[in-house]
Amino acid sequence: MARYAIVLDTRRCIGCHSCTVACRVNNNLPVDMIYNPVTTVGPTGIFPDVHMVHIPLLCMHCANPPCVECCPTGASQQREDGIVWVDEDKCVGCKACVMACPYGARIPNHETGIVQKCDFCMDRVLVGKEPFCVKTCHQRARIFGDLDDKTSEVYKLVNREPVTRLLPELGTEPHAFYILD
Amino acid sequence: MSTDVDLKDPGIQVKKSVCFFCHNNCGMLVYVKDGKVLHVEGDDDYPVNNGGLCSRGNVNQIFLDHPDRLNYPLKRAGKRGEGKWERVTWEQALDEIAARLTQIKEEFGAEALATAGGTQRTDDWARRRFMNLYGSPNGFHNAHLCWIPTFMVETAIYGWCPFEIDMGNSRCLVLWGQNPAASVLPEMSQISNFKKNGLKLIVIDPRFTESAAKADLWLPLRPGSDSALALAWLNVIIWEGLYDSAFIENCCVGFDELAKHVQQYTPEWAAPLTWLDPEQIRLGARMYATNKPGNIQWGTAVDQIGRPGGATMHARALLRAVTGNLDAPGSDLLTGPAQDFMTDEEMEANDWLPEEQKAKQLGSDKFKLITWEGYGKIAAITREVWGKAPTAEWMCEAHPPTVFNAMITGEPYPVKAIITLASNPINSYGQTSQVIEALRKVDFHVSVEYWMTPTAALADYVLPTACTLERPTITSTYGCSDFLLASQRAIPPMYERRTDYDFWRGLALRMGQDEMWPWENLEEANYYRIYPLGYPVSSYDEFVENYRFHFPEREYYKYGRLGFATPSRRVELVSSTLAELGYPSMPSYVGPAENEIDDPELAEKYPLVMTSVGGFMPYHHSEHFQIKELRFLRHAPRVEINPETAAKLGIQQGDWVWVETRRGRIKQQAELTQAIHPRVVTTERGWWYPERGVVEPDLGGCLESNPNVLTSVADEHCDPLSGTWANRGLLCRVYKVDGKDGQ
Repeated sequence: MARYAIVLDTRRCIGCHSCTVACRVNNNLPVDMIYNPVTTVGPTGIFPDVHMVHIPLLCMHCANPPCVECCPTGASQQREDGIVWVDEDKCVGCKACVMACPYGARIPNHETGIVQKCDFCMDRVLVGKEPFCVKTCHQRARIFGDLDDKTSEVYKLVNREPVTRLLPELGTEPHAFYILD
Repeated sequence: MSTDVDLKDPGIQVKKSVCFFCHNNCGMLVYVKDGKVLHVEGDDDYPVNNGGLCSRGNVNQIFLDHPDRLNYPLKRAGKRGEGKWERVTWEQALDEIAARLTQIKEEFGAEALATAGGTQRTDDWARRRFMNLYGSPNGFHNAHLCWIPTFMVETAIYGWCPFEIDMGNSRCLVLWGQNPAASVLPEMSQISNFKKNGLKLIVIDPRFTESAAKADLWLPLRPGSDSALALAWLNVIIWEGLYDSAFIENCCVGFDELAKHVQQYTPEWAAPLTWLDPEQIRLGARMYATNKPGNIQWGTAVDQIGRPGGATMHARALLRAVTGNLDAPGSDLLTGPAQDFMTDEEMEANDWLPEEQKAKQLGSDKFKLITWEGYGKIAAITREVWGKAPTAEWMCEAHPPTVFNAMITGEPYPVKAIITLASNPINSYGQTSQVIEALRKVDFHVSVEYWMTPTAALADYVLPTACTLERPTITSTYGCSDFLLASQRAIPPMYERRTDYDFWRGLALRMGQDEMWPWENLEEANYYRIYPLGYPVSSYDEFVENYRFHFPEREYYKYGRLGFATPSRRVELVSSTLAELGYPSMPSYVGPAENEIDDPELAEKYPLVMTSVGGFMPYHHSEHFQIKELRFLRHAPRVEINPETAAKLGIQQGDWVWVETRRGRIKQQAELTQAIHPRVVTTERGWWYPERGVVEPDLGGCLESNPNVLTSVADEHCDPLSGTWANRGLLCRVYKVDGKDGQ
């Protein structure tokens, strides 16, 4: 069984927002919905001794996803391969998951009333392709793959590079791994 | 659910197209069914982008059928700029335009027609071909602000522009006024790859850019002071003995003279001019000279500093020569022109333009390097050595401000008509007051466009043109690379759009040029161009589908076989070509277009230094403000101000502020950031507001936030070699927009 994960290499990310636009355009999202914003920290310091880093965000596809646990209708689900997704037919728009997600990755759709999120472009992944945000990234700052496959690039990066996860203290066990400088 | 298409659908064709929103021309696969584009994505097999696409690249499908795109030929029905149009047929439009151009030529001479082109959204050899056969030397682009002066200075000194950088084998890369992380994303990706292997990265930029954030050394110099830095680097490299003596001995002339000349330009001399520390200057020079092979990547910045531009390019070019970083593995390569396919220049029919018409090219008497005199001299030498010449489109153009002035004043002779193509001069050329006056006044204006821009709104005819998915494209670095990449039409043009090739040919056939336009469409012309390559294909499309690129085998040290394409066949550290044109044979210091040292009184009134940002995501030049899938990233223009300065001026984050120079003022939103020096502010270029409607007098707010309003194109502010003007390094003041302050 696969266990999908993403590595975000901030040494390579330049804050160009290609991933944000690729996601929005290809997933046909309304203009007020973003699954994967890029946050720029900085420039910090005082000119000319400054530093800047871009942190791409998205659903962390947690091993212990609070959004799934709190969903009263079973719309929020986690697949065996780790992908956390929403069965839109079952979602009643109660937004419990929006409150529960510590990463802000749950996005209400104001047109339909339901809550949506990044599902790693599940329909693409299931036919062996990469999520749009990964495919579009010129910088190869987003690396997607199967963490159970020891030959995969994500496996190698997660095990060889000093990776970090966001809010590890919450015990959510995100499957988005960050390489910081 | 994503909109991914079912590739197993037998009705789907995959077309090999290319994005043309910037010069990278990233490859795209376009999924087409029943003539309709279903999906666009990056082409994994395309060597430029390897499947990646930037934010702009991702909106190609939206661009294709955006509700604001122009779809039908329009003829002005009301007053100019009033926004009243009558839909006409292409045939009527072309008949009437041809008749008018014939009449203008008879009455005022062919030179009374000018044309302004855009950034590679057009096939400019066709434009030049038409203009040459018509008899006018007055075509131009924003060439002066973008690479062309650099190209020609470097070609004068070492026989070609070494724009092909062999980065994979390099140990040090200098980004001089370039921010690839916001403008050349594939290059930035390569830089990250090679940095992992130890490549040193030096970024010379007043701003702490996305690229500077990745640098080993960032040199935030005073905008426009680059010539002092380049001369000081020459001083350090020569006088600390870091030069390549074998290369200088074997390949260069004039070293002793140059060494003596730059002795005066010490880092201590340059420090107060550049606002850098002398040790920082030394560090950079040593890093570049001792980490060999190395590259100096071209950036637009030096082409946009006006008066000191030519001297700066000259000094920067000499850095490669004294370090021997020319045409060696890992260095900057002198590829020369393509030897095995028809270049743009060979398609331009330049021989058909009579000498007396060449002599009338506007601006050529003042700015000789990229007009017929300089270009002719340089092209003659490259022909002797390489067998071919650089493209005349771009490298040999009328001086735009001189043309706009002729439209207004009739001096030195009247310019009565202009054809603008995929270009919005009101937002993209200097000293906007002059441009807009010229476009309001000119007798006849045809615009071939994608959108109703502020410029198109002032035209008499607006003709809808085909975008990248609707046309074939050959990519060959402005016709000057030795390789080509070929892409095909994904679908025929939608509505009544046509390619600009069809436009020019349509006019040409009505004006007696029939025999010179044997190719009925662009595919036929492109097939003619690639035919000499000898691939076993019977059409251009077949070439794209089966081969797509042509890269000749790389040959280093070509000068060993050919010499350098200069009069002495060596690298001329003392340039005979520039001297013959009446310019200094060695570069001397020239201060920024406006500066506190030469003009302290002005600096008292305008105490800050303004510069314009080059490329910034997600826009390109003055394009894409209509597309909400991009605009949400940046809805308003931003002026960067250091928080210390902002505090003194009572400006807070997000405040609308005026930026004012002697020429006028514009407003942008304050972005407080430590990315820049407290005495510098950076404005964003290109801005207009299509959502306001594009009619007189507002014309989409084209003057409100447009930094070109702040610039000067007066001859004395332009670079004497090329005529380029400054949008960087100008003196300004900044103050908060007051509620009562008017729009």
